[in-house]
Amino acid sequence: MIAWRRRQRLATVGLGAVTVLFLAYQWFPMLTMALLSFTGPDGGPTFPMRGVSLHWYRELARVQTVDDFKPPMVRSLLLALTCSVTTAALALMAAQAIRARFRGSNLFFYLVLLGIMAPGLLVGFGVAVVTRILGIPLAWYTTTFAVHIVWTLPFGFLTLLAAFNRFDVRLEEAALTLGANRWRAFWRVTFPLVLPGVIGAGLFGFTLSYDEFARSLFSSGPDQTLPLMIFAQFDRQLQPTLYAIGTVTTVVSLAAVALFSLSFRIVRQRTRTTATEPPR
Amino acid sequence: MSTLHARSPLGYLLALPASLWMLAALVVPTLFIVWVSFWATRTFSLSSPLALVNYAKFFGRSTYVKLLVDTVQQSLLLMAITLVLGYCIAYFIVVKVRRPALQLGLFLVLVIPFWTSALIRTIAWIPFLGVTGVINQALLFLGVIDKPVSAFLYSRTGITLAQVSFYTLLATGPVAYTLRNVPPSLREAAQCLKATPLRVFWRITFPLTLPGVVIGQILVFLNVMADFATASAIGGNKYAFLGNLVILLYDSGQLPCASVIAVLLMLSMLGGVAVLLKMVDIRRLGVA
Repeated sequence: MIAWRRRQRLATVGLGAVTVLFLAYQWFPMLTMALLSFTGPDGGPTFPMRGVSLHWYRELARVQTVDDFKPPMVRSLLLALTCSVTTAALALMAAQAIRARFRGSNLFFYLVLLGIMAPGLLVGFGVAVVTRILGIPLAWYTTTFAVHIVWTLPFGFLTLLAAFNRFDVRLEEAALTLGANRWRAFWRVTFPLVLPGVIGAGLFGFTLSYDEFARSLFSSGPDQTLPLMIFAQFDRQLQPTLYAIGTVTTVVSLAAVALFSLSFRIVRQRTRTTATEPPR
Repeated sequence: MSTLHARSPLGYLLALPASLWMLAALVVPTLFIVWVSFWATRTFSLSSPLALVNYAKFFGRSTYVKLLVDTVQQSLLLMAITLVLGYCIAYFIVVKVRRPALQLGLFLVLVIPFWTSALIRTIAWIPFLGVTGVINQALLFLGVIDKPVSAFLYSRTGITLAQVSFYTLLATGPVAYTLRNVPPSLREAAQCLKATPLRVFWRITFPLTLPGVVIGQILVFLNVMADFATASAIGGNKYAFLGNLVILLYDSGQLPCASVIAVLLMLSMLGGVAVLLKMVDIRRLGVA
């Protein structure tokens, strides 16, 4: 019995060590990149660091020519915001449609989920082929946008299906019994209750689009998005500026996650308190 | 009664935008790729006769076939590594860690990198792998090697090291999810009946988490098969997978050949998923 206990403890320690080592392994490159982005003006892309400075960040802000990261950054942010709103809206409609259990809704479910399974590179490639054949010009705000939604929509859709699953249908029924029409019941009762799910869908829309590289590669035309620009620059030469821009975009991604999580929490708290409060 | 009647025509109307979007930007382009892959001309021509020339060309070139084999091999390797690693991590976080706060903390540390750019994470690996990189410096310091080795950058090892750090999460997530649904009382009952811990694991826990394992493996398989960015960033020009070949052929204007690679890549992905799904009946296991 005692030997058994000891073995159990040994397993815990072993598994714990594997987990902690993996987490370190996963984070170490990102933290190193952030550290190296603060190297001095003479510093290179690896250790040793030559002093500590903001040189490469200033470089990032200063550059006006080919290596200018600012316009791609603006494009990527605009694209991510548009994808966020579009994903939330389309996912809400799609999840509400599933509730109607129309003929073929199973097929519809799999059609939307296809977007997760389809390899990003090939979706972009397919769109590039179609536009070439049909003579449609490629652009980040048309073709890339369309391809990004194929990727973000399934995530938003699943999030909203989960939200509708947890939602108490009797609240809707009560509103309808009390004389609200369907439109009003949806916006006054259903929508506020699934709003955390809508926010979740918006988060997927934003970050997945903002960081997307493979799907943009073939579909974006002459004006590059930020990941494309980063890759092109990386292909030419690895400089600490890349670490600086990498650190900046990582911070933007994490800030987006934090912001969405915060509003998620606020909305959920509010629906909870108003639902339990007696009406005035 | 709900805001939507069952079988209400409104359902179709609400499903329309998403359906059209998926059809126009995903299904139709895929069909076009298949069509173009049969074009008999080398370059772009709409009136091209259809033939199997491009497929014959692919299978006639040993370098192309080897690339297909390499891609599948790399996927299998990653599946094996992430299966073991991912399961250990999921088991530790879900079963071994008892404090909810610590559980949540570990989970967040695991998941947060998913929300950042994969490309940036790939680039972040470069200072580790080079001859003067962190790994070499560490090995030199530890006395494992006495001069720097170039085995990491521009090599399969380097690509694998990076891919493990990206894709283990995909294997961990579904396992953690199914593991959470296994009631601890099942393990305790088996232990009371004098089953050894290892036996409890293989006879009770593992079979119940099999659906999660398979879903995780499918995700890893699909992602590694389609991964080209890691290969081109870390493998340099020396290592490539099928995805890289699609880019190469597209850039050199050989649309039909690029389409053939794309079709073969999709077919092998579909085949792999079908095999994985055959291994377990996910629906049956989900109920058990």
